[in-house]
Amino acid sequence: MSHELRNDPSLLERQQARMKWQQQKQQSFFNASDHTMQNMFSTSMPLAQTNETFTGLLSGHNGLDIVKPDPGLMEDWAGFGDHLSYGYMNQNSIMPLGADQSFVHGNSVSVSTSVTVSVSPKKRKADKGQSLEVVTEKEKKLKGCAEEGDSKITHQNSNNSDKATGDNKSSNSKGASTNTSSKDKSKVSEVQKPDYIHVRARRGQATDSHSLAERVRREKISERMKYLQDLVPGCNKITGKAGMLDEIINYVQSLQKQVEFLSMKLATVNPELDFNIDNVFAKEMFQPSTSEFQGLGCTSETPNPAYFQLNSLDQVYCGLDMGINSAEMALRRSLTAPMSIPETFMDSSCFNVISSNLSPSFFQL
Amino acid sequence: MHTSSKLKKEFFKKWMQGLQICCSSKKQMNIMERKKKIKLSSDIAMASAKMTPTSWSNALISNAKKCEQDTVLVDKLIGPQSQLKLQKTSNKMISFHNRVQCKKVLKRSCNYAAKKTKRMGDSRKNLATIIAKRLVKKRTKVLKRLVPGGESLDEFSLIKEALDYILSLKVQVDVMRSVVNATEVVLNGDNLMKSV
Repeated sequence: MSHELRNDPSLLERQQARMKWQQQKQQSFFNASDHTMQNMFSTSMPLAQTNETFTGLLSGHNGLDIVKPDPGLMEDWAGFGDHLSYGYMNQNSIMPLGADQSFVHGNSVSVSTSVTVSVSPKKRKADKGQSLEVVTEKEKKLKGCAEEGDSKITHQNSNNSDKATGDNKSSNSKGASTNTSSKDKSKVSEVQKPDYIHVRARRGQATDSHSLAERVRREKISERMKYLQDLVPGCNKITGKAGMLDEIINYVQSLQKQVEFLSMKLATVNPELDFNIDNVFAKEMFQPSTSEFQGLGCTSETPNPAYFQLNSLDQVYCGLDMGINSAEMALRRSLTAPMSIPETFMDSSCFNVISSNLSPSFFQL
Repeated sequence: MHTSSKLKKEFFKKWMQGLQICCSSKKQMNIMERKKKIKLSSDIAMASAKMTPTSWSNALISNAKKCEQDTVLVDKLIGPQSQLKLQKTSNKMISFHNRVQCKKVLKRSCNYAAKKTKRMGDSRKNLATIIAKRLVKKRTKVLKRLVPGGESLDEFSLIKEALDYILSLKVQVDVMRSVVNATEVVLNGDNLMKSV
């Protein structure tokens, strides 16, 4: 199996090759994502509204930086409609929904149709109070006489086959059909305890509860796959589930191996696990002090403005990276100007501390 | 990007703490042990640096705790509050896991009988879908093995966990790489100093 973890003796070479590949892919990915971001800003209002749903979903994810490309995803999904099993962007279904705008909240935008059904229950529960009456009417009716209701609805709305299943979890219905709800005011009851997902069956599709539940499940999964496409570089062209999973597996494996390789490298570089160096670096970088940068900046004039900008953002990793860059710059300059080496190294405070920390560990090599 | 940089800070702090704890014991370690310590502390730091604990992070921590030598390190890193949460969730997960296993065994035995009869009259389309499903199943199995704590998850939450896990792995790799670069540069600088 190609997926099984291999223990290669030539780990280093593979890791280097992999890291290069990753970087290349990331670069190409970022180029691609820039395009999607441009697309995003030109989308129409309804698509922008779906931002809310996605932010609601993404708030559960830590460090997910893909909030922005999501509306761009919506456009892509239109193109993907052929691949996915449900008839997305069914023009017939959009028309009558316009009439039901009164029931539509910020979340359940009509354009996104079946997609937003499965979006996080948290957001929907917030709005539940508003449309509770309508929802309960519909739920009661459909629970009571499921199949009868189906046929009625299909007769009445020939274009739009509305249906809600009583099977699964929460949310509000989108655009409850006004015709049927008016009939069922007699069946208004108290609040339902279990939550239901209201699914709209697309035209010409099976309406029994099992297949609808299946469809909801599939939609959830394909939605998640979209997010993963953003994360995993090079996945934009692959559309099938199996291929996507393959890519994900490869990526996770390569990341794990990178971690192993890097920890091995750290172990070799640091003979005594003496990470005081890095502690010093980190402490220097954590403080938003420009002093050490000025100290280093005297050796390299041009990158100075860049240092100060990054410092104002107060991010450690920019600091750490810039520290590395500045150190490299200092080294290069010192190579060309050997006279100034002692001064440059002695002036900058962090190098002082670092060198004193390093020298004992170094001699033991 | 802001959330990921916060995550990086958190991870870095915790990792350095963990490493300090490791090297506070003054014994000489060979390279493999060092590497293990580094990796372990980085994994635990990653798992505990998350704002909201997820399934994989809990699984990582509980796996690490099983190994006796490392429990001290783990406990120190993750802090007191999260330990309580961890116990609760790990208990839940164990029972859930058992339930899932039983269900799976039942399912498999049923499916086996059903498959035998089904294979008689298969059209091409059905074959294709069956093959596709098999592929997907195989791959989800592999993914379950990769993501820590993924064994007891259903497909949907598995993907969610994988998402999260990928993100944190990325953060881990970035941080480690920059640390490696930093130490290399500093060491080179030291070499230069000595040669002069």
